Amino acid sequence: MLAVEYFEVECPEPVGAEYYKQITNDVLLDHNLLKVIEKLHIYIDPEVTVFVAVGILRPITTVVRVGDIANINPQEGKMTLVISDETYLARMLKVFWEHFGKDRVEQPDRFTVILYNVKEEAKGLENIVIAHPSESLNKDLIYAFRCISPEGFRLRSERFERGKFSFVASEDTLVENIDELVRAKFALMGEVP
Amino acid sequence: MMLVPVTYKGGIYQHDIVIDLIEDLGGYVVQKHVLAQEVVLQCFVPKDDIELIREISRPIFGEVTDSPLVGTEIAIVSMSLEIHHLPHPSCDIAEYVRRIGAKSNMVSLARGPGKRITGLNDEERDVINEHDIAVYLMGNFETCIEHKMPILLRGIEVPVVVCGAPDKETLIRIVDPPVEGYVGGVGRFMRRTKEADQLDKLDEIVAEITRVLEKKRENLAKDPLSVAPARLMNLIRERIPAILDVTSPTPLTVQMAGLRVKLPYDTFAPELKRMEIEDGITLGDIAEVAPSRMRDYILVKVLPFSETNTVI
Repeated sequence: MLAVEYFEVECPEPVGAEYYKQITNDVLLDHNLLKVIEKLHIYIDPEVTVFVAVGILRPITTVVRVGDIANINPQEGKMTLVISDETYLARMLKVFWEHFGKDRVEQPDRFTVILYNVKEEAKGLENIVIAHPSESLNKDLIYAFRCISPEGFRLRSERFERGKFSFVASEDTLVENIDELVRAKFALMGEVP
Repeated sequence: MMLVPVTYKGGIYQHDIVIDLIEDLGGYVVQKHVLAQEVVLQCFVPKDDIELIREISRPIFGEVTDSPLVGTEIAIVSMSLEIHHLPHPSCDIAEYVRRIGAKSNMVSLARGPGKRITGLNDEERDVINEHDIAVYLMGNFETCIEHKMPILLRGIEVPVVVCGAPDKETLIRIVDPPVEGYVGGVGRFMRRTKEADQLDKLDEIVAEITRVLEKKRENLAKDPLSVAPARLMNLIRERIPAILDVTSPTPLTVQMAGLRVKLPYDTFAPELKRMEIEDGITLGDIAEVAPSRMRDYILVKVLPFSETNTVI
């Protein structure tokens, strides 16, 4: 976890802690989330059955623009876009429909989009924002922590706000004061929730 | 004549020579896989004739290797079918034992995960008991393993090998009631087993399974079976042609003391029981033909000599 500034797994069982460190690393790497986490502290107590993950997120300022996923080829009366990354294609089409109307947007095949009679220049078209990856970040993080936490811990409480997050899961009803536990784990990283 | 499990690997060209030879020597081909230009035969051959098979298969570039798990059906008990346990490590282990000849089935528990909430229902228990051995893939915490094992072992009659993250000594200390085999250092992980140390762990699991099964084989040898399951397999294939139409990869699965016949019980059980083996002795005389809890298959449990007074 080279990209993460602080990463600790706290557990009364050292072997379990070692395994969970590995699992966390693998899952976050698989979900491409390592670069968005700045600090992460995980606490697991199998005796009480509680899993706590608290952390700080890096601010995500990047947005995806048309130029990032397509090459634009201006021609007489039309612009041909050759798609290099399909991930945001659907969202791009939606933006185009809103901007130019459906009658001016055509997709003859999977990797080609043609815009007819648009006033915009190629440069302007390239700069149109089509997606904000930060919007789905919280959803991705919750899914990743569900994979990391022990499977039987099905009662969950998640909080994601102002670049900080906490994820608590347990097998039993969370009777103790969870906020206090979360605060204590944040304090270990030198942060407040 | 002592039959030993081996695997033959070679080209498809003239491989029938090897099959004929094995059958002429009194051996049995348990499984045959044709993969493009390659043939893999899992078979039982007479111990004294292994060298002869090696010699005859040498000109056609065939290779004979020991496969102690051929003719065994193993239950890989995974705590659930969720992403937490699949495909790693459950599938990795199931696939690894398959490569060396075992027929492995993954048994996933409906309420396997967790500590307090864990449970084993009667269907799961019966399905596990239909195998030769069960490999329990446990998690990373000794507290959970200690708490869960008595529940998960309730009613299990087959030998069990427990795998978990704590080391072997810890597993031996915490697993109650004690089981036949332990492999430490294999808990829940979420990466493919491809590094050398991870493959060593898989080899350790195989070694432990082999050790436990050898012990079971020794016990079976003390009171031999009335008929060898591999021989029974060949007979069923000859006498009940419907088995040839079954599309399952192993329509007849050989076990150490029986056979799983993948035909509907209600339709074929009476026919199976009436099937003559030799000198008027029918299958019903020397084996128990029972419905399997796995789909509507038939489970043939061969009775030992002490119960039938017959060895064919």
